[in-house]
This record gives sequence, structure tokens and C-alpha cells, in this order.
Amino acid sequence: MILRNRIRDLRLQKALTQQALAERVGVTRQTVIAVEHSKFAPSIRLALELARALEVSVHEAFWLEDESGGTVQ
Amino acid sequence: MTGMTAYYVSRTLISAGFGVLLAATGTTWWVAALMAGIVFLLFLWAPQSGRYAVHPELGVTALRRDERTQGITDKAAKNAFVVVMLAVLALILYYGRLAPAEVPVAALDLLIALGALTYFGTDLWLRRTSGAKD
Repeated sequence: MILRNRIRDLRLQKALTQQALAERVGVTRQTVIAVEHSKFAPSIRLALELARALEVSVHEAFWLEDESGGTVQ
Repeated sequence: MTGMTAYYVSRTLISAGFGVLLAATGTTWWVAALMAGIVFLLFLWAPQSGRYAVHPELGVTALRRDERTQGITDKAAKNAFVVVMLAVLALILYYGRLAPAEVPVAALDLLIALGALTYFGTDLWLRRTSGAKD
């Protein structure tokens, strides 16, 4: 299963730059980029901090996807 | 003194101290000054490098690794350790016994170079691919 997210969409909705989001959650801009591209699976703590910074629940920001592309409940 | 000012002042002192140490141990003054300047430039570059999360409120320790960059450096260190240990094993087998006097100094230099190369190679590779987790 793959961890997917809509951090990029949510960030753009909030008109935040990657750098601004990175500063809000205390990580590097490269880490935000890696999370947005699903190249890095954040810890539960960072996932919660990202969701809080974007004012959504963690379920709205992250979900699991199976190999066929379906969302895992 | 708050924020990044503390960071820059402390790094200026560290760079100057490094230069003085080099000069005191026999390095010519201009080489010592050049090396101190290079070290200071690296400290200036570090906050903009993207390798560290910047926390100005922490003063002299304003630069911190985040969980991804910490994962990358941990993995790079592990890889370097394994490669060096395997190279040591190969040296032991090659020379037949663990007798430092038998092992040429050049071989030890090679071990250090191999470890450094593995560390920085892994670090660069993982930063490009972002795959820090096992």
C-alpha cells in the first residue's frame, strides 16, 4: 500500500509557498517537496502538524492507496 | 542577542578559532586565513542550503535536521560503517592476521577515503531520491 496525500492542493488553496509551510511545521522545504511527491512518508507527528498547519483533519490530507489505485478504508 | 545574529556571531568565532588553531600548529598564516574563510562561507551557506530546518528562536543552535534529513544522515552513517567494516575484514583476510604493523598506512588512508565516499555518496543519493526510510 502507498501513502498518498493532497498536501500540495491544500497548500495552494491556502496560498502558502512550500517554504512558508515548511517554516510553520519546522522542516526543510525539501522535506515538504518530498512529502508532496509521496517520496517521503512523514511520521505521525509531522503528518498531524502538516494537517494542523493546513487546517484540515489528517484523514483529509493523507490516505492509503492499494496497488490497484483504490483508497483503503 | 537573539535569532540568527547569535548563530552568525558564534560561527564567526568558531571560524576564527579554527584559523588560529591551524596557524598555531604550523600552517602558514595565509593558508590558515583561507581555510578559516572557507569554513565561514560554509557556515553562511548552511541556512540557505536546504539541509537544515532554520529555527532563529534557538540562537546559536538555530540549524536543526528535520526527520527526513536525520534519516538520511543516519542511513549514510550506517552504510559508511558497514563498508568500512567489510573493507577491514578484507584487509584482515588479505594480510592473514590482525597485525597493524603489517598493514601499510596507505591502506588505512584508503579505509577513511572509502568511508567518507560512502557517506557522502549515500547522502547525495538519498537527497536526490528522498527515500530516507528503510
